[in-house]
Amino acid sequence: MSASSRAELWAGARDALITVVPSILAYGAVWGGLARQAGLSLGELVAMCLLVSAGTAQFVALPMLTAGAPAALIVLTTYIVNLRHYLMAANLAPYFTRLSRPRLALLAHGISDEAYALTLARFARRPSTVAYFVGCAATVYLAWYLGTVGGALVGGRIPSPERFGLDFVFPAVFLAIVAREVRARWQWLVAGAAAAIALAVAVGVGGAWHIAVAGLLASTLGVWLAPASSGGASGGRL
Amino acid sequence: MRPGPLGLFVAMGVATYLTRAPLLLVLARRRLPAWLERYFAALPIALLTALALPLVLLPGDRALAVWLPQVPAALLVVGLARRTGNLLWPIVAGVGLVAGLRALVG
Repeated sequence: MSASSRAELWAGARDALITVVPSILAYGAVWGGLARQAGLSLGELVAMCLLVSAGTAQFVALPMLTAGAPAALIVLTTYIVNLRHYLMAANLAPYFTRLSRPRLALLAHGISDEAYALTLARFARRPSTVAYFVGCAATVYLAWYLGTVGGALVGGRIPSPERFGLDFVFPAVFLAIVAREVRARWQWLVAGAAAAIALAVAVGVGGAWHIAVAGLLASTLGVWLAPASSGGASGGRL
Repeated sequence: MRPGPLGLFVAMGVATYLTRAPLLLVLARRRLPAWLERYFAALPIALLTALALPLVLLPGDRALAVWLPQVPAALLVVGLARRTGNLLWPIVAGVGLVAGLRALVG
């Protein structure tokens, strides 16, 4: 690995560490405690974290497990909660053109809301590198894993993360990135449409559909309104 | 380890991987049409807005105790991020305001 790749790897890890990792550790610990209460062994919850590694889906799955929901329903719910990853993967793909298929297949497992958000925020301002995403995604993955194991080991003795405002870190990261990058009129329109659709779907339909639906629909405005040079990997803008 | 949950977790892992891998594998290796590049230019704004706003405005139960601190904190984050171009300090300030207001509101 070259020195510049190492620097990019570290930059991704550092950006994740100072922004989202404290909250991921805290919510991982909450999930780990709840998973123990739901009757999962340490080995089982480690397996779930390593295999699924999707916080929202894992939080949704626990009460279903406790209630004895059919396995097929739990798997389907997991799939629906994670639908937004299709859009994130598609959005990241143009930055990873020089990677082999096995490396892309491995990288895919690291896609998360946090790694996606921080990576595209970085690529909007600096040259895009695979190493930055790897540093970011691996740090997020590891933090979730360590948080859950820590929470499982200490059980239910964790203070509520809300007391420290840690639940607010996730919307704060996403809002700060959007606020920093939205300048042109078409970008405001996309943000406004996404906000309206997401809130309407979240209120009207409930569940986990609002992110994927709002992302999918509001972005179509870009097809008509975005300037030709603004294309993802070639334009370098968020 | 019981066989039941582990099989379920493998299935959940496969379902999740099926949302992450296919488009990364397919789209990384071809030249995108211009309209799709413009679509992707808009996608982060749309997705991050859709992720953030319901977390701020639709917090579920205990509406007042959660809602009241989050809305001014969200405005603070947006204002600071636009003014400074920095990500870390707006987040720290927003989280601090939420924690402080919650300690007051209870």
